[in-house]
Amino acid sequence: MASEESCLIGSKTTVRGQVSGKQDLVIEGRVEGHIGLDSNLTVEEGGSVEADVEATVATLRGEVRGPVTALRSLVVEASSRVAGKLKAPSITIEDGARFSGEIEMDVELPAGVTHGNA
Amino acid sequence: MANTVIGSSIVVDGEISGEEPLTILGTVKGKIAAASSVVVESGATVEADVEGQTVTVSGKLTGNVTAREKLELRPESKMVGNAKAPRIVVADGATFKGNVDMDV
Repeated sequence: MASEESCLIGSKTTVRGQVSGKQDLVIEGRVEGHIGLDSNLTVEEGGSVEADVEATVATLRGEVRGPVTALRSLVVEASSRVAGKLKAPSITIEDGARFSGEIEMDVELPAGVTHGNA
Repeated sequence: MANTVIGSSIVVDGEISGEEPLTILGTVKGKIAAASSVVVESGATVEADVEGQTVTVSGKLTGNVTAREKLELRPESKMVGNAKAPRIVVADGATFKGNVDMDV
């Protein structure tokens, strides 16, 4: 199923539990629990997420608490407030974004260099 | 105001609550509590107790439904569960098993 048809959690809607699927998801409301997508996730400004998040590309503009794992890339935009562990091969944090937590990018370090937390 | 849409390849396991119209094309298990309308589209699967102002079912719904205004079962719909609403429409072709309570 292509992502022509949008999947949206509206600003006055709360979902508690598990959201999974392979369709792009836009959150303007609130989600608590777990989000596992084989597709893209956007948390809009005003949206709030308190969940373990897995997505292909994650774009964060709202409030997000919890580990966020993106298969391809993760963008923490200027309007967002994010806390938790971010994991993705490519991570952008824009000027103005507020972020507290850990970042993991799965890079190959040159021989002799050890991970900071190893 | 933008409606909430649960897309056809999305599965929600848990509780959905909110004040805006909710359209379900995918799968929802658990509980739905909406202050406004709930539409279960053709192809959607809902295994949940549903509460809404109006509830319209074209897909498959298993669970108890309480509509404060109206419950409508469209021709292709399949519903198993108890229905409680002041107005209930069951279209020709709809499949329904359960109790009906119109509060008379």
